[in-house]
Amino acid sequence: MKFSFETLLNAGGSRLTYGLLNLRILGWILYGFTKPGILVPSQILAQIIRIGVQAIPMASLVSLSVGFILAMQSSTELGKMGADSFIPDLVSLSLMRELGPLLVAIIVVGRSGSAVAAELGTMKVNEEIEALRVMAIDPIRYLVVPRFIALMIMLPCMTILGTCIGLVGGWAVCTIELGMPSSFYIIRSMQRPELWDLYSGIIKTAVFAHILITIACYQGLNVEGGAEGVGRATTSAVVYSILWIIIADAILTGLFFFAL
Amino acid sequence: MSPAPKKSQPASDVILEVKDLVQRYNGRAVLNGLNFKVRQGETFVIMGGSGCGKTTLLRILIGAQKPTSGSVHLFGEDITQASPQELDRIRLRFGMNFQFGALFQSMTVGENIALPLLEHSQVDPSLIEMIVKMKLELVGLTGFENFKPSELSGGMRKRVGLARALALDPELLFSDEPTSGLDPVMTAVVDQLTLDSTRKIGVTAVVVSHDMTSCFRIATHMLMLGNGPRQGEIIAEGTPEEIRANPDPFLQQFVRGEADGPIAFRLSQDDYLKHLLQEG
Repeated sequence: MKFSFETLLNAGGSRLTYGLLNLRILGWILYGFTKPGILVPSQILAQIIRIGVQAIPMASLVSLSVGFILAMQSSTELGKMGADSFIPDLVSLSLMRELGPLLVAIIVVGRSGSAVAAELGTMKVNEEIEALRVMAIDPIRYLVVPRFIALMIMLPCMTILGTCIGLVGGWAVCTIELGMPSSFYIIRSMQRPELWDLYSGIIKTAVFAHILITIACYQGLNVEGGAEGVGRATTSAVVYSILWIIIADAILTGLFFFAL
Repeated sequence: MSPAPKKSQPASDVILEVKDLVQRYNGRAVLNGLNFKVRQGETFVIMGGSGCGKTTLLRILIGAQKPTSGSVHLFGEDITQASPQELDRIRLRFGMNFQFGALFQSMTVGENIALPLLEHSQVDPSLIEMIVKMKLELVGLTGFENFKPSELSGGMRKRVGLARALALDPELLFSDEPTSGLDPVMTAVVDQLTLDSTRKIGVTAVVVSHDMTSCFRIATHMLMLGNGPRQGEIIAEGTPEEIRANPDPFLQQFVRGEADGPIAFRLSQDDYLKHLLQEG
């Protein structure tokens, strides 16, 4: 059978399962690279601001707090063994490999994932999605794809920013509370992690972004019933996103640090 | 891959043709073998009581739902057999005015009307701005382009919905309950807009409504769907004069808006006693 974008873009007809949603997103993105006007930069930029940039203050505050917590918690135990000098190693490794990607993703689920599910759900209830279809505008291209691309760009950026801010939190505890020289903290926290630690965190973030936005959009587009349905979809989007993000994290950690 | 839509050769002035249309939900027929034609330039009003299948019929006519059986020929093409691409091409030839407007809440009134133009035309943005102003003027809402839908009244939202439906200058306009929930003056205003669309712009209109005053004011052709024991059947079809003169008791009860008659929505005293005795 000859491949055509139309087959991919309309996979499943009027049905919309989670798998079909993923196929159609992929189809529209590939189609967008071959035909101008499909992917509209202004729409993607608007979503980058709405679901990414506006979540930065909250993600930054959480990352800073995690940096504080990691440094303080480790100082009590490592201090007993006279291993204070390993605190920067622990803070930077934990943030790059694990806590940076995971916590930023969870914050974005709570703030932006729920907002996307509620917005699309309300649009479905108000017949706005139906109106798009009747105007011959595919809701997945017009509503889902810009959000998908925006989050795939923004979540890794926010994670790198969050990791840096978390490192600042650790630095504050180590220098102010433990009297560690700034230069020592910076050198240790930069020397110990390898490039792969950073890359593994970014790969995880890309997977988390995919899980987060596809679940939020899927739940939003499948809302049935009125306000109650929107509420249910929003809750499901948050619960399932966090659940699958943590499961994916466990699998990826196993792959990156045990299997490979 | 979906089979290509069957090209029929209807009479040249027939824009919409419904043949043997059946829609069943859980074995219950909501629409039962409907046949009718809408001709160019008509204002075709589909009326009927709550639950008679008006909305289901409209959803099938716009291609939002596939019927259980039967066909819907829009501009000579069977939309029940059309692929999504073919359906999208057909959809560019008609506009849909939703019951509650279905306006995009995140956009301004102007952006709502401009959306189909931005998506489907190669018109310059400055010209789009001008078209938006013209469409707003047509529906009597000049100067409202920067308002959000939430800042408008129900009647204004319906008029913006109409302006958006007319944005691409469609040949056919579907309208779902355009006057429901409006006061008599606003009802007359919306009716006048529908008349203007058909008479001045030459759009053919298919209007679903149960507002009798409004139906008789705008219709050139009417169709009444039955409910209860005559669920999903066409009870009567014809010009407004023919509908008024039709002696069918179902139709006359509906047209006159009487509580008692063959359209039973409550049990008569005798039936109620029988019902109680049976239960006992």
